[in-house]
Amino acid sequence: MMTQMPWAPTADAMLRQWQEVLTKTMALPKVAQAIQRTRVGATPARPIYREDSLRLLNYETGAEKRFKTPTLFVFALVNRPYILDLRDGKSVVAHFVERGFDVYNIDWGVPADGDRHLSIEDYTLRYIDHAVDELRKRCGCDKVNILGYCMGGTLSSIYAALRPEKVRNLIMLAAPVDWSSRDSLLSVWTDARYFDIDRLIDVYGNAPAEWLQWSFQFLKPVQNLLEKPINFYQNMDNEKYLEDFFAMETWLNDNIPVAGETFRQFVKYMFQQNRLIQGRLEVGGERVDLRNIKCPIINLIAEGDHLVPPAQSEPFNDAVGSSDRKTIKFPVGHIGMAVSSRAHRDLWPKACDWLEERSEPLGK
Amino acid sequence: MSGEQFGIPGADQFTRFWGDFVGRLSANGVAPPSNDAAEAWRKAFFAAMTDHLDSFMRSEQFLAAMKQSMEGALAWQQTMNQALQKGLSAAQMPSRADTDHMVRLIRGMEDRLVDRLEELCGRVEALEKGAGAKAPRSAKR
Repeated sequence: MMTQMPWAPTADAMLRQWQEVLTKTMALPKVAQAIQRTRVGATPARPIYREDSLRLLNYETGAEKRFKTPTLFVFALVNRPYILDLRDGKSVVAHFVERGFDVYNIDWGVPADGDRHLSIEDYTLRYIDHAVDELRKRCGCDKVNILGYCMGGTLSSIYAALRPEKVRNLIMLAAPVDWSSRDSLLSVWTDARYFDIDRLIDVYGNAPAEWLQWSFQFLKPVQNLLEKPINFYQNMDNEKYLEDFFAMETWLNDNIPVAGETFRQFVKYMFQQNRLIQGRLEVGGERVDLRNIKCPIINLIAEGDHLVPPAQSEPFNDAVGSSDRKTIKFPVGHIGMAVSSRAHRDLWPKACDWLEERSEPLGK
Repeated sequence: MSGEQFGIPGADQFTRFWGDFVGRLSANGVAPPSNDAAEAWRKAFFAAMTDHLDSFMRSEQFLAAMKQSMEGALAWQQTMNQALQKGLSAAQMPSRADTDHMVRLIRGMEDRLVDRLEELCGRVEALEKGAGAKAPRSAKR
């Protein structure tokens, strides 16, 4: 009997292989349909404020609003912010909206060549501050809640330190504040001995989107260039997988350039000189002292983060002046904090509970 | 389902060869891989490769190569920029340097205007306070 012979490709096995190839081939139209069907952004939103290329989006659903203080999401400048509202069931925004929070998100827009001079000062003391002022005016309150993700968290912490009187609660999501550890490949690559940031920005103007994208891809080359295509082949007849895959790929390939001066300052002052945590950063002539942050903070850290290793986020709680501070470490990666099923099941309900306990109900 | 039902030419010879080959492997104590084992092998291979690549991308050798290639790319881009700037200037068209200059001028003007407005707002607030008027609360910017 051939089937009892070890290592032998039996007719059954050959047939199975053939059937698999056929199944995958037959799934190709399904793949094409999934690409066409791909939509990102789960919650209806409309812009309520514009400034230059910035749009401040307000999420509007039928959910009853229960809290007075608006919650502002501040995303990084390197990708689009819809990762926080990617799809049904994978939307951080939806968690907060369903709990009754009035949620807003800053869409930074795409910097044009002329935006190369925009600095960290422009993004914090101008754009974020104006968005916050707009919300204070609109909602009739003195303070807003801020959720900052990744680089957006760093900008949020700078803003909260400079304008503490306008921030009621601060949620830091996989946000770096201390670059003393060299765990991250990005920290190694941006070492001043090997990386001339001044020359890059002088020549290119803005940090080019394609260059940023390739840099991120090469942080995990095996996973991104080998394992991903294999996993795709194995799952290309699974509709649910295809929908998630293309939504994610849409976002991953939607990199935008970063305004040159901001990128220069971020690389130089944060990655190379680590000024923020040391209290040596100056923005708009004001020294950024994280101890000025006295509002409640929660620091959400991704344990498996290859972009922002926990060591870059952990020191935040000890650097601020808040007495109400909490850290949640969660066993996912950087993007997993926003899109993994596990985070949506176990992390975001807890984060909403935390904010709910510190929010003023409407009508009080 | 048996091989004979397919009647693939040469299948029997190949099967015999393969059987002989794997028989010899088994006799030498090499176990046949299951699907799970193949998956485990693949994972182990990729994990090892990931670790080695990560170490390599932190090495002096890689960083020096990265620096060199970046310098080359920047030098090329700079040459292109200069050539384009000269060409556009010859055609009396604005280049990026010209628009940059314009943006700088506008930003400078905007900064001076905002500073002046803030100064005026401060003076108005001071006057209102002095007059004891109940002024509407203005957001601090």
